[in-house]
Amino acid sequence: MSSDAHQAWEFVPHQHRGPAAQSGSDDHIYSPKLHNGSFKAKGLETFMGAPYCEPDRDKIRAMGAKVCFLGVPHDHGNMVRCGTSQGPAGIREASTQYFPYMFEYDVDLIEFFRPVDCGDIPAVPSNNARSHQLIYDYVTECLHGGAMIILCGGDHSVPIPAARALSDYLGGKPMGYLHVDCHLDSAPDWDDNIYTNCSGTSRALDLPNCSAANMAHMGSRNGLNPKDWVDTLVDNDIRLLPMREVAKRGIEVCSHEIFERAWDGTDGVYFSWDTDSLDASCAPGTTAPEPFGIKAREALKLARIAGEHGASIMEISELCPMWDSNNITSKLSCCMAYQFLGSRAKTLRDNDELPWNRKNIA
Amino acid sequence: MNPAKSYEHIFSPIGGKDDSFGAPGVITFLRAPHTEINAKALKASGARFAFLGVPYEEGNIGKPGSVEGPRDIRFMSHEYFPYWFEYQVDLQGDCVDCGDVRTPKVDPETSHKNIYKAVREILSAGLIPVLCGGDHSITIPASKALSDHLGAGKNIGYLQLGAHLNMADSWAGEKNTSASTLARVTELPNVSAQNVAHIGIRNSMNPKDWIDLADARGVKYYSMNEVLDRGVEAVTREAADRVWNGTDAQYISINMNVMDASAAPGVTSPEPGGLEAREIMQINEILGERGSVSLIDVTELCPVVDVNAITTKLAACAVLRLMAVITQAKGETVDQNIKREDLK
Repeated sequence: MSSDAHQAWEFVPHQHRGPAAQSGSDDHIYSPKLHNGSFKAKGLETFMGAPYCEPDRDKIRAMGAKVCFLGVPHDHGNMVRCGTSQGPAGIREASTQYFPYMFEYDVDLIEFFRPVDCGDIPAVPSNNARSHQLIYDYVTECLHGGAMIILCGGDHSVPIPAARALSDYLGGKPMGYLHVDCHLDSAPDWDDNIYTNCSGTSRALDLPNCSAANMAHMGSRNGLNPKDWVDTLVDNDIRLLPMREVAKRGIEVCSHEIFERAWDGTDGVYFSWDTDSLDASCAPGTTAPEPFGIKAREALKLARIAGEHGASIMEISELCPMWDSNNITSKLSCCMAYQFLGSRAKTLRDNDELPWNRKNIA
Repeated sequence: MNPAKSYEHIFSPIGGKDDSFGAPGVITFLRAPHTEINAKALKASGARFAFLGVPYEEGNIGKPGSVEGPRDIRFMSHEYFPYWFEYQVDLQGDCVDCGDVRTPKVDPETSHKNIYKAVREILSAGLIPVLCGGDHSITIPASKALSDHLGAGKNIGYLQLGAHLNMADSWAGEKNTSASTLARVTELPNVSAQNVAHIGIRNSMNPKDWIDLADARGVKYYSMNEVLDRGVEAVTREAADRVWNGTDAQYISINMNVMDASAAPGVTSPEPGGLEAREIMQINEILGERGSVSLIDVTELCPVVDVNAITTKLAACAVLRLMAVITQAKGETVDQNIKREDLK
């Protein structure tokens, strides 16, 4: 841990530690002693109450952060409903109702990962190329900062520049790409546009070090999957696990399968998780809620298994708080990230590894 | 089966005698008669259950809104008959509504005292209080009332359902918030940890001191992971064995956030990964079959954020089902030969 890491906490004014002399170094994992903590008085909202850090590789390293949260309020790539630009705010707000301590793993996420919130990536209105460049730059900085990234969209075009950043960061070394989504998102183009939220999987396939042998798609269902999308996946031998298969074989077996495939001989994995992969009853607050999806309990299991295998970037997209009911989708999205991190921490700890010794983290 | 009782109300309304099914009229739980919180009156009612609204939410540490729980559960209970075909049970006459406990604002001590007094009065009349909160802190004075009612030398079993363990010794220096329900219950002189169980904890609103205190006191908690691995039935039966093992009274406390957020969005703290609607019904059947329960509460309903009142209706349904199964277990069923006069 960097010597500056502890000092970073001085910059968190109203979060779990609070300003009023709660000084024990573990205070954030216990019931508050003096006041109600962040549970009503939210102060400056960051993910998990983590300190803010500029998205700058040197500063991230100086803070000793092994997890960076990045919001991507970018919704220019959406085909249908808008509203995902509020996704990062929704997930941060949901995290104010949680402790960084996870009893399921007996892990203190703050202590283990020293996470930081690098804020939101700005977008440039009416210029997709410049917006994508900013996403690419921010993600690149966090990767070079030596951190795993929790990326919160934004619409599902976000993985296009973000996976490219991981690809370039890894240089010539191979990477895996996982896409969990109701929709296949493998349009070669949509009305000649190759950068919409219909083409995340296709663009990942374009990456020079991302082979179809390390790619999988899980959770697809229903009638918004045109034939050319299916053809792209099938013709390129990307492993396809439609929802019917997941329902039949069980989430556990399927989750292990996709992560084993993604990590087979690779040095990094991009894990792209669209909230519309979830059943509409568990996640009404998404831009394209679909029935017959993954239930909340299955989603948390998938997140746990993802944590066992790891990922360089975990991205949660299409979260749309304005369509939500009592924030249940924001809370579920937040729990997906927490369960992933908790499980990741436990796995590393069980293997006597520290977060910075792992191949998927520089 | 009571030969002196008329059973006309368990059939579809006939002959123009009841055209008000959709109109609430006087709003009480299950359209039960209102009865004063007075042991004499309660005894005279001949009822088994006494519904008691507890619109108190000053113990909440997160989001407000549970104060409207009692009002709305009464509304939703009107969408049910007192007759439960699954168990051949008629709850009419078995239930009274004692109205709401007076809970003056910014005076939590008086509210707690009032809750305590009301629950003790109902218990002394020999009825089973069915409390609807309010936040989960209402269980603290209610369980104390049960403890004092029983007196020394008797044992209480306590089962809590919820996403959060609520095992804070104190929260922000306070002892009686909704974060401390289980902590206070396990300090009662006639509650032994071996008769206590909690089902349903999950996710990150369970700080380390709660887990540590539960372990130190030997309180058995079943996480949702364990429920999913072992199945609802096995876990519930094991928990019920603890609660009913050698106890003289049993308290069932249902925090509605035990439910998955999709099944119960209308709670103060919706939590993903919880029980499905069919599972709480299964749990309540297993518990009700034990026949004896001394006190029931349902808390943390938050109607203002509900979707089409599904959460309140689920709460009403789950509680009524528990009442019906208890009644069935006591052998109080409707004679199968009772039919509508014109269909005989």
